[in-house]
Amino acid sequence: MPQPIPGIEPLVREFPAETEWDAVVVGAGPNGLIAAAYLAKAGLRVALVERRYEIGGGLATEELLFPGYYSNLHAVYHMMVDYMPVYSDFNLDRHSLIFVKPNAQTAMVFEDGTSLLLTRMLEDTRDSIAKVSLKDAATFGKLMRSWRRIVDEVVAPATYAPPLPPVEMSIAMERTAVGRAVLDITERSPLEIVTDLFENDRVRALILYVSCMWGLDPRESGVGFFVPLLLDRGMNKCYCYGGSHKFAGALAREVVQAGGTVLDNAEVVKILTAGGQVAGVQTSDGLTLKSKVVLSSLDPHSTFLNLVGRQNLPVGLGESVDQWKSDKWSFYTLHVASEERPHYACDDPWVNEAFMTILGFEGTDQLLAHWDSVIAGEVSDGFGGHATCESLFDPHLSRVPGKHVSFFQMHAPYGIAGGWEVRGKQLEEAALAKWQQVAPNLKPESILMSRFETPRDIEMRLPNMRRGGIKHGDYNPLQLGYFRPNPECSSSQTPIQGLYLCGASSYPGGLVTGGPGYVAANKVSEDLGVKKWWTPPAHVQRYMETYLQ
Amino acid sequence: MNSEETYDIVIVGGGHNGITAAAYLAKCGLSVCVLEERPEAGGAQENTEPMAGVRIDPAATYLYAAAAPGFEQLELWKYGFRMSWASRIGRIFHEPDTVRRIGSATTDGVVPLDEKDLTGWATLMGVGTQHPFLKELLRAVYWCPPHPVGMEQTEDDIPWVQVLKQKAPEIWSESLREMTLFDLYDEFLGSEAFKVYQATVAWYSGAAPHWQGMAIPSLAGAASLMLGGVSPPRGGMHQYAHAILRCAIAHGAQIRTCCPVEEIIVRNGRAAGVRLADTAAWGEKTIWADKAVLSAVDVKSTFLDLIGPRHMDVSFLQRVKDISLKGGSIYVAHILLREPPRYGPKFAVRGEEPASQMVYPCDHRRILLEHIADVDSRKVTPSLEPGKMLWLSTGSKLDEPTSCTIPGAFLESPFYFMVPAPEYHVDGPEAVNKMKPEIDAAIIRSWSEVAPNVADNVTAYWSNSPYDSELRNTGLIGGNWYATRLCPDQWWGTRPLPELARYRTPIDRLYLCHQTSHPGGLCLMAVPYNLMHILIEDGIAEPGDWWYPSPWYIPEEEKKEAVYR
Repeated sequence: MPQPIPGIEPLVREFPAETEWDAVVVGAGPNGLIAAAYLAKAGLRVALVERRYEIGGGLATEELLFPGYYSNLHAVYHMMVDYMPVYSDFNLDRHSLIFVKPNAQTAMVFEDGTSLLLTRMLEDTRDSIAKVSLKDAATFGKLMRSWRRIVDEVVAPATYAPPLPPVEMSIAMERTAVGRAVLDITERSPLEIVTDLFENDRVRALILYVSCMWGLDPRESGVGFFVPLLLDRGMNKCYCYGGSHKFAGALAREVVQAGGTVLDNAEVVKILTAGGQVAGVQTSDGLTLKSKVVLSSLDPHSTFLNLVGRQNLPVGLGESVDQWKSDKWSFYTLHVASEERPHYACDDPWVNEAFMTILGFEGTDQLLAHWDSVIAGEVSDGFGGHATCESLFDPHLSRVPGKHVSFFQMHAPYGIAGGWEVRGKQLEEAALAKWQQVAPNLKPESILMSRFETPRDIEMRLPNMRRGGIKHGDYNPLQLGYFRPNPECSSSQTPIQGLYLCGASSYPGGLVTGGPGYVAANKVSEDLGVKKWWTPPAHVQRYMETYLQ
Repeated sequence: MNSEETYDIVIVGGGHNGITAAAYLAKCGLSVCVLEERPEAGGAQENTEPMAGVRIDPAATYLYAAAAPGFEQLELWKYGFRMSWASRIGRIFHEPDTVRRIGSATTDGVVPLDEKDLTGWATLMGVGTQHPFLKELLRAVYWCPPHPVGMEQTEDDIPWVQVLKQKAPEIWSESLREMTLFDLYDEFLGSEAFKVYQATVAWYSGAAPHWQGMAIPSLAGAASLMLGGVSPPRGGMHQYAHAILRCAIAHGAQIRTCCPVEEIIVRNGRAAGVRLADTAAWGEKTIWADKAVLSAVDVKSTFLDLIGPRHMDVSFLQRVKDISLKGGSIYVAHILLREPPRYGPKFAVRGEEPASQMVYPCDHRRILLEHIADVDSRKVTPSLEPGKMLWLSTGSKLDEPTSCTIPGAFLESPFYFMVPAPEYHVDGPEAVNKMKPEIDAAIIRSWSEVAPNVADNVTAYWSNSPYDSELRNTGLIGGNWYATRLCPDQWWGTRPLPELARYRTPIDRLYLCHQTSHPGGLCLMAVPYNLMHILIEDGIAEPGDWWYPSPWYIPEEEKKEAVYR
């Protein structure tokens, strides 16, 4: 507060320095918003506290290309819209939230002008694959029918139910044929799965890219159940009309309309504990929010080491947190505003309608070599990535009539040989050249503005995407399911009474599934004896009845 | 798919005034729907992060609204409102010797403040006087609806005159009603450089120092800044918008972004609803209004586009077209430096302070008046010559530590340079945009005269011209921050046109709620507060005990239909 001056002392009343709540949620990303929305609507006095000037976390649609062009800085492909309980439990439509799901979902274009296309409608994908392999086309058709059941009956609903310990999980899965199929596929690596199923190398490359692009190790076993999920969802992803931030805005409106409070520009610097029980949070601008329940949507390092403090942790938890492994790779993204939308010169006009276009890869060897180089801290010359022209689906992102907004994104290491200061600019030129090779109209003179964001920029904007990790931590068998983030903190709860986890580093993980926030809201409601105003969606209900009882 | 909806109130435009009106009316228990065309509501109360760790202010920066009844009436503190109190608030009063020494910046270096500057400024701000008057004066200037259309007004009716007569008779004189701001400064202040400094601050706050009869309203611009502590809200102006929005939402208002309005539907002379553009993020494109439509977009778009010639006569439309946009179109630069700007030898007396938050050059009012003449009379890009190029640096990093989180980097945002409205520029609307590289270079050159280390330490640079500002934010017509000129032809009972001054329009149940109405811009929550008086008069809003009207408000004697001819 400033020193008062007689006659002109400040008149504005501000948010009080000390307040009391039933629950405080740290971090207003998708999961923090979802947890807060359920709990506020259940009648709890909820404060949702966000460090940034804007809520949403990875649901960020911002004017990066300033002035005049909005971009989706993180989440753009919404894969779980069909399953997320929040869509059926809240009437988000009224906040003008609309998802668009184009049929042309993911294209892959090659140097020789050929292409492959994954579509929402199965037969169109089969038609595209049949250009190169009748056998693969037939395999794909059969496969997707059985994988759809795996997704529909097990993997998707499991996203919204608490995890089981591995042995119990295996026993439960043995109960059904679909469950046994899940167990079987889990044991195999993505590369094995794809190689066994398909003969054409380009088909393999496309499916491998879609399965592993969010951070699966193609050669690792124990994560195979993600392949059907990510492939099926990769063919059913939605664009959030007006930008992904609209989803965050709709959820925040639900929090506020239910009587919750959203505080932005309030970085939590301390989670208060007293006698092994959580007592509230403190922010960098000196606010104390007292509460016996705190939900943290941050990564384990931030939650436990930075905010609770190592000295306040029960024995062993600090060590578990130290072992947390960050994401395998991060992203380098080049956002551009251009005179024209990128127009891919290839054999299939539908490619130009596609939501996502993979470019730069000619086959699996090159793809694997690229990922290997990224894991080794480099980006090899043979890099590729995926591009999306957002303004193709959304006239609201460009404030300049007739101009377009697109991005090209590739996997990249957090620490790169040569340093991002140097490599960032080099890769911009290389990426533009590679993009122009397949989209010849993307000439330098047609680029109005461009800006790249490196893994360090991701971390700068959103510090709990530590090391640029968009999922708050690696997907590997020891950091998934019941073990995410560690056995001490499985299923939203922590050894510190009243402290819960509700972010991407807890079960089931990241990618705007809304799972962690939903699972945590359920857990907190049960622990506090709060009557739930919601019931699980039918697909989750069926899954729980079949496998969890 | 969405079905057809009817609300009590439909508000076109989710800028500062639209969302504030939504909060007021939702708090009255009315059902309210706000339709905003951009992906984010808040209008010019916006912040953006064009580079990770760098949050800039493309438009509004400081809190001018500290005296607004809205803070109490809407209880914005409940919705998270906080300030980022600048450490240097009221420095001129707390540390007069330091401020005297820091003085004003001219091409010859620092001109210290003289005794008359210090006592005169204190007098004008009501500091140390028996009856502090600043809050009442500001409320009289901004937070009172213009008196009824056609009412003859004397000095006994004008609100600010009453405040000065009662509380500061030493300032009041009959001639004050005719004075320019420079006339007032000549009477109360001492050094020319300080007068130019304060006059420039007022100009950038919306009122030119040479407009006849505008001395007190112009002074109010600078004075509101004092009341707000020369400080942004914590996190920037968008946080202030968030507090307003969340108040509206908590009271049940629907805020819909990406929903451009194409037409205000008029049936039998009455505003009945709106039709959305085909691109709107809403299925059913017609939304009906039972009680009123509020146009929280500018008066020109309202009548020329949304209502259109199918409902209005040409004489009225001509006068709407003629509303002047002069004075307020700002070229805004955002500059990231490797180190803080440090004063050169001529300014050694300012010591280690960053060379920011200043006006330069303040040598003589001729520089300011020539700049105004370039912008308003010659309609050209003003002089870019060092020593003649007048600019204002706000130094937001000094006030808001969260604005730049890159270690070791210093952000200057926004840095202001006034240019003509694009529509008026003799070389066409895009003239200034075409000169961007030249202007940006000139800004660095001119700033380097004060802070020689600037030129070699720029790591990133963004700028938004008025042309860009208007594209981004259509309510800023002509890229004009105060929407339209705040001179006596367009102020108080003449703003935007005499028959529209009470926020009513020739269309029944259509009200104006944008900064093109009195008292203009600065994110004051004033237009909606003033409009509330009228909506209460018209039986549309019935607020609870939390409401209080302006003490100077004069109700309509007999309600007249707005007449236009």
